[in-house]
Amino acid sequence: MESDDMDYSDDDDLDDAMDYYGNEDDIDNVDPKKTDPEFFMYECLTVDEVEKVLNESVEKLSNSLKITPSLAKVLLNEHRWNSNDIIDRYRDNASNLLVSSRIKSGNGKKVAHVTLLCPVCIQSHTFDKFQNLSCGHSFCKNCWSMHFEIQVSQGISTQIRCMAAGCDVLVPEDLVLSLISRPQVRDKYNQFSFQDYVKSHPELRFCPGTNCQVIIRSQDLSSKKASCKTCQTSFCFQCGNDYHAPTNCVTIKKWLTKCADDSETANYISANTKDCPKCNICIEKNGGCNHMQCMNCKHDFCWMCLHDWKSHGSEYYECSRYKENPNIANESAHAQNLIHLQAREALKKYLHYYERWENHSKSLQLEQQTLERLKNRINEKVMKGLNSTWIDWQYLFTAATLLAKCRYTLQYTYPFAYYASMDPTSSRKDLFEYQQAQLEAEIENLSWKIERAETTDRGEIENQMDICEKRRLTLLKDFFPTTTSDMNS
Amino acid sequence: MAALPRRIIKETQRLMQEPVPGISAVPDESNARYFHVIVTGPEDSPFEGGLFKLELFLPEDYPMSAPKVRFITKIYHPNIDRLGRICLDILKDKWSPALQIRTVLLSIQALLSAPNPDDPLANDVAELWKVNEAEAIRNAKEWTQRYAMEDN
Ligand SMILES: [Zn+2]
Ligand SMILES: [Zn+2]
Ligand SMILES: [Zn+2]
Ligand SMILES: [Zn+2]
Ligand SMILES: [Zn+2]
Ligand SMILES: [Zn+2]
Repeated sequence: MESDDMDYSDDDDLDDAMDYYGNEDDIDNVDPKKTDPEFFMYECLTVDEVEKVLNESVEKLSNSLKITPSLAKVLLNEHRWNSNDIIDRYRDNASNLLVSSRIKSGNGKKVAHVTLLCPVCIQSHTFDKFQNLSCGHSFCKNCWSMHFEIQVSQGISTQIRCMAAGCDVLVPEDLVLSLISRPQVRDKYNQFSFQDYVKSHPELRFCPGTNCQVIIRSQDLSSKKASCKTCQTSFCFQCGNDYHAPTNCVTIKKWLTKCADDSETANYISANTKDCPKCNICIEKNGGCNHMQCMNCKHDFCWMCLHDWKSHGSEYYECSRYKENPNIANESAHAQNLIHLQAREALKKYLHYYERWENHSKSLQLEQQTLERLKNRINEKVMKGLNSTWIDWQYLFTAATLLAKCRYTLQYTYPFAYYASMDPTSSRKDLFEYQQAQLEAEIENLSWKIERAETTDRGEIENQMDICEKRRLTLLKDFFPTTTSDMNS
Repeated sequence: MAALPRRIIKETQRLMQEPVPGISAVPDESNARYFHVIVTGPEDSPFEGGLFKLELFLPEDYPMSAPKVRFITKIYHPNIDRLGRICLDILKDKWSPALQIRTVLLSIQALLSAPNPDDPLANDVAELWKVNEAEAIRNAKEWTQRYAMEDN
């Protein structure tokens, strides 16, 4: 949930949390790195600021290696902007570094190009019309510039290669820019290069918000939540997806793919399985017959209406408005049933977690609607001047923001729980499930109280907020995803 | 359309004067950028004896962009799909403006001699090529008989 027109919270989550605890804890003595599992130090930069940062690195490297800024850029882009590593490698074996960075050709010998016939356009030109690369391959400037334009039109910039067949040498920026004449193409080239540089820089991320130009920078390369100060979009700094603690980056990706892949299977299961009305075990309809017998309790019932089969008698055909499917009518080999059973159990398990994941996601939306309704009602009250001012109700919006934050974390505990449940070696599973259940209970409690805010005591809501956030932070403190080890990866 | 670049004229002349053995490439009468190509199935390959029709088109920005090539004759090959599209690196990211129609056609001929099921385009064919090469080769020969013989 983002801040709205009332502007009650335009600072980040850390500040929110500090506001809550400001009265109880002596902030001066508390190091947020230790107390807040979500603490994340980052800055939101503009394109110009990032260009400055990048140029400083380029200049430093170009000075210390005595190479052109253009070559320094190639080196940095090819080595994730790790200047120290580049300098070490350069001192160790400059030639190796230049070859592996595709600045020099690995073939060693320079190809001396003596003829004045360009091999691409097959035309003769005077000597000054030719341009060669460090690999020695030489072509006419006209062909180079056409090559650059076509490459840029395909979105290629820092990866533009020499035109010779099989030659991997990269064309440095100064040469490209000196031969591109059209200003729009130059702009495009600069734009694409900038994107490549940011993408290869481990400390930089483009804000994923639509049409947002902000670049987030952090030296903490973990799966923390970054929130863009301009467009308010939040995302995981490590993988760029929606923030997903306590689930880690690999697991959330697996989970989202699974959700997308299994939606059809899940539909099949819900269309083709029902729970026995007597013992509630899951039963799959694998034939056309609507007379079902539960393999567990042997209860006979009707697939269509779930009533006792005996009560049907001859009225069966009236109950069933559907036609039987003759294709699947007679396939019920015992072995196949077993496999189906296992698959079904696996799916049931997945659905258990998926339904909760989905449900909390829907609750988040519903609570947003509730908040809108509340806002309108409070507006009315304030307008009528019934013993309350706008300020008196501000706490409620803070409460709703906190509820959304807690519910969001709760939603993302389910992928974690699903994969942990399948891992027999995961020893902290029980603790996790316990904390998850605690958090869930307190969240529903808070949600209930906020819905009835007009009659609930303010102190009671604030107390419940406090409990919720503490539960959330406890769970995150114990299970915040680390890059190296994970209970559920 | 703009006048034909010297490069294309030169390449066409050379293709006609010194044709690549086993390959014929003739420009269309009405479009000098469109070539009718016939590749003979290489000896000691399952495509031996077959004549494979292809079309080759030189796009507007050729040679800065690669030619577009496609098999017209049906062929059972792990790197060529049902629509005749070819998975060949020099037609994609490894294209270089210094390569020519001639080199492209030679590479395609080489691909017929040495199918590469590890870089597949036709997944089912590649799969069979890996698990049961003998059967895959039998299929390729059968398809060559059925679709690539002169009398049909
Ligand atoms: Zn040229
Ligand atoms: Zn070169
Ligand atoms: Zn943004
Ligand atoms: Zn992530
Ligand atoms: Zn039962
Ligand atoms: Zn019924």
